Amino acid sequence: MNAHDVTVLGYLVVLLAGVLLELIAVRRRSGIPPLGEVFTRIMRTRTGRVGVLVAWAWIGVHFFAR
Amino acid sequence: MRGVADDKPDRDGAGPDERAVARATAAPPDRSSSAITAMSGFREPIVVILLLTAFFTAVSGRSVDGVLLLVVAVSLAWDSARSRRAGPQRGDAAPASAGTAGPPADGRPSAGQRPTGRPLLRRRLPLVIAGLVLGVLYAAVAGSFTRYSWPATAAVISLAAVVVVAGWRGPLRYRPVPGRLPLPGSALWAGLLAAGGLWELASLFQQPSLTTTSYGHPTISALTDPLLTSHAGRSVAIGIWLMIGWFLVDR
Repeated sequence: MNAHDVTVLGYLVVLLAGVLLELIAVRRRSGIPPLGEVFTRIMRTRTGRVGVLVAWAWIGVHFFAR
Repeated sequence: MRGVADDKPDRDGAGPDERAVARATAAPPDRSSSAITAMSGFREPIVVILLLTAFFTAVSGRSVDGVLLLVVAVSLAWDSARSRRAGPQRGDAAPASAGTAGPPADGRPSAGQRPTGRPLLRRRLPLVIAGLVLGVLYAAVAGSFTRYSWPATAAVISLAAVVVVAGWRGPLRYRPVPGRLPLPGSALWAGLLAAGGLWELASLFQQPSLTTTSYGHPTISALTDPLLTSHAGRSVAIGIWLMIGWFLVDR
């Protein structure tokens, strides 16, 4: 396993952990809030709301805009 | 029309009458305290994150992104400081439970105000269908442009700007205000986000330079490059980006 594989594996682990957390949060009363609820809570304030939307906008700009 | 928060006691337990008296009798702030209040916006964690992102984006050779982020960070800091100066019942300084993420002056429902009238689903269905059709059209057209070209830049930045400005004004529709989230569960999400960010940052710093990708330590951008070379790949990616944006702006 070379450095490339390890790096990609790291991203996959983070992604799968996120999916797993969401599944646990939705299916059980585990004390883990679903991601949607986390965002709803964060976006109650203007700084939270704008911060999250700017992060989303930045992703689009980063991948497609010059 | 008074806002919902005006009738609620603030953090100190003061009602609207007490707050009005306190505002009327308070001494005008001197110049140094005004300056401190103006700078207080820069203490917001999100403003700091945006400034850091603007810096790293600019030094990575993406000066347009950096300038846009800088503009948003400064605007947000100014807005936050202005809200603090105006009083605890406005803007960010309002208790989250009061549900005052944005001013309802434009007729939008505040977060704690349940709409009345026709059933929500029936009213929203045409909007949802129209949104889906427009989204597919947008993804097809924007995906036809070459990455990093001026048409692609214009398409993405104009939509992003509209969404951020719309979000700045507050929630688009009623949502129940969630209570305080359980700390351990929230910490798990925060930890996962931090782990992903650090992994990406570690890959970025192990590249030969910030602007040269590495096969051994690819960033997410480098990994997705092959997928975004075709029209179909770009349209799918833009479609996913739009869906995430829709999910967020609907919070």
